[in-house]
Amino acid sequence: MDCFAPAIAITGSAAISAAGNGIKPALEALISDTSCLKPIPEDLAAGTTGHCWGKADQFKATDFIPPLKARKLDRASQFAVATVGLALADAGIVKGAFPSDRIGIALGSGFGGIANASEFLSGYYQAGVSGLSPMLFPNTVANAAASNASIEYGLQGPNITFIQRFCSAESAILAACRFLEEGRADIMLAGGVDELTPQMIRGFAVTGQLHRFAAGFGEGCGILVLERAEHARKRGAAIAGQLTAINTVGFLLPGAEQQGINQLLQPLKSCNQLFFTGPEPAVQPLLGTVEAATIRYPGRIIGSSLAMGGVALGLLTASLRPGEQGLQLAASPEGPYYAISVLGGYPA
Amino acid sequence: MSPKRIVITGLGTINGAAGTIPAFQEAILQGTSGIAPLDLFDVSQFPARIGCQVKGYDPAEYFTRRQITHLSRTDQLALIAAREAVAMSDVTGCYDPYQIGVCIGGGVGGMLHAEAWLQGELSNKPARPGLLRTLLPDCSSTVIAHELGFAGFQGSITTACSSSGTAIGWAADLIRSGRQQAMLCGGADALAMLTFAGFNALKVVDPNPCAPFSAGRQGLSLGEGAAFMVLEEEQAARSRGAQILGYLLGYALVGEAHHMTAPEPTGEAAARVMNAALAAAGVAHDQVGWINAHGTGTPLNDVVESNAVKLVFGERAGKVPLISTKAITGHCLGAAGAIEAVASVLALNAGIIPQTLHFRGVDPECDLDYGHSGSRTTATRIALSNSFAFGGNVTSLVLGSAALQQEVC
Repeated sequence: MDCFAPAIAITGSAAISAAGNGIKPALEALISDTSCLKPIPEDLAAGTTGHCWGKADQFKATDFIPPLKARKLDRASQFAVATVGLALADAGIVKGAFPSDRIGIALGSGFGGIANASEFLSGYYQAGVSGLSPMLFPNTVANAAASNASIEYGLQGPNITFIQRFCSAESAILAACRFLEEGRADIMLAGGVDELTPQMIRGFAVTGQLHRFAAGFGEGCGILVLERAEHARKRGAAIAGQLTAINTVGFLLPGAEQQGINQLLQPLKSCNQLFFTGPEPAVQPLLGTVEAATIRYPGRIIGSSLAMGGVALGLLTASLRPGEQGLQLAASPEGPYYAISVLGGYPA
Repeated sequence: MSPKRIVITGLGTINGAAGTIPAFQEAILQGTSGIAPLDLFDVSQFPARIGCQVKGYDPAEYFTRRQITHLSRTDQLALIAAREAVAMSDVTGCYDPYQIGVCIGGGVGGMLHAEAWLQGELSNKPARPGLLRTLLPDCSSTVIAHELGFAGFQGSITTACSSSGTAIGWAADLIRSGRQQAMLCGGADALAMLTFAGFNALKVVDPNPCAPFSAGRQGLSLGEGAAFMVLEEEQAARSRGAQILGYLLGYALVGEAHHMTAPEPTGEAAARVMNAALAAAGVAHDQVGWINAHGTGTPLNDVVESNAVKLVFGERAGKVPLISTKAITGHCLGAAGAIEAVASVLALNAGIIPQTLHFRGVDPECDLDYGHSGSRTTATRIALSNSFAFGGNVTSLVLGSAALQQEVC
């Protein structure tokens, strides 16, 4: 696989998910194979039954954000602000300790902003211009989560938000690594955030997606703190793992599928821990391509979403012992596909 | 080893001012605005009823009936512009399909269609659920990649009004880093009630055609459209005999970390991104001939951007025209950065600095050269193109004319 030069270290991580707040409850649920998904109330699922979702029910924004500030944020922004704070603390990074223009953020955001857009438009359709709420409009943009987190913690480095099917977080992590590689930043917060609303469930239900790609949809946020290994060592940070390579292909060309898979995996044929993310029908082409001692599907435990790759990568890193090789294979219907390689710990 | 130079080998656009690259070149050089009354949806409740809509648009000219059913207006505009750029570059078949990627800056995606569904839900007249399938802005990159057979990187950037400027910069990065050999990159965004009502609710829409940097300006005029570029590494492009249309010399992006809607007032962050872009490009400040401003025409943006240019160029600031093509195209939000980058390349190659239209008088807080009096010829071959966005996402591109190929940059 294409290796990063210089090496990229993972020095912190945090997650908010259906399992609770933090990496630990999600990791415990994953290892014990205990699903945190719960039944979707029937009235939300357009009368259909038997569907589950991964709501982050234990998340209370005011546990992390002052109430007045929390009220102004959409749910995805609340997740991002809380999780970035936890990740910075995990990495031992105190606000003001590093030049703010050398710390950036790259997030995948799936449905971020959609809830506010729906509420804003509903006001207009129900009451005309007098029903418009200017307060709602700014947080209808998908980059609101990353931007609100950057405002909260003074992150003035590169700031970017991606959406690309179920690989939104992986897209952002690739960009974060490149920005570190190029020296555009010294530290990057990278991962993904997604929210899940009754309106989205209604949309999934009427389009038939509750049976398909939106089955077991979840919400939450997963953030990694990434930095060049040399930078991390210099500041005495604990290195949880090394992000050794990221490969991607947009889709598997009919008739040349194996070439695409080879490009995705390159020489990697085995690993200790293999995580699959994205809807299970979408990962089918990747099954059996890599041998692994342990294979896990975090989506079965906490729900999958367009940007849950950040949570999954945090879990993969946390589950590796020093020297162990981990691989996250992410897939979306119609593509893209991502392969992210992680080495546990960091050689002295 | 010097970094790879990235060349532009294809251009495409459809927007409210023009439907093709030749027509857009004419609009940019002649200063022909596409801003006019809107009829895409009902705007009668708003004080501003104008915008830069793609007029007389008939999807049947470009798509089959099945495609029209499955593609949002944004997806359609994206495909039209992407097809033009790819045809111009003749890049198909020149690289392994897994070595050609697609990167798009998006905004509202298929919101226009989702709005129809929402209206139906609220009025108990259920609309076709299929209207929701194209809601998210990543649909455009997927449909383009599949139609054109580009199986490399596939990604969409959603940083509001800087999305597509960033998408172009990131695409160049993917080539520089060796991950891809060619990239189709740009942006697409259609008009929607969400953005039209939203900017009106914030009271930043001018009831008259926007007048960037002018006294009495009241805000922006919204637009829609798409624009794309094909990027390749210079030597590879030359080896295959591609026509070099210009250079993407460098870019930078930062977060202001200041406020969701208001720009950082001193212009320090915007200045930082312009300086970083020039440093990344290896371009000296005195090589920059002019700047295609973000230049929305809102009272605040235009002052802040002027402040930023003063911080970057110091005493020379007044000699670096800061022009805005948004008076021609409207503010196309997620597509704005790409449309303006294409406009900049067309103007650079013509040796023209475009005019900033709709001058209403001198604003004492905007005391630079904004090209209000008309377009002019120039021998300079490098321009900056700025994009600012909600959330403080700021991106700056450094673009060079095709004539740079004769120079060592």
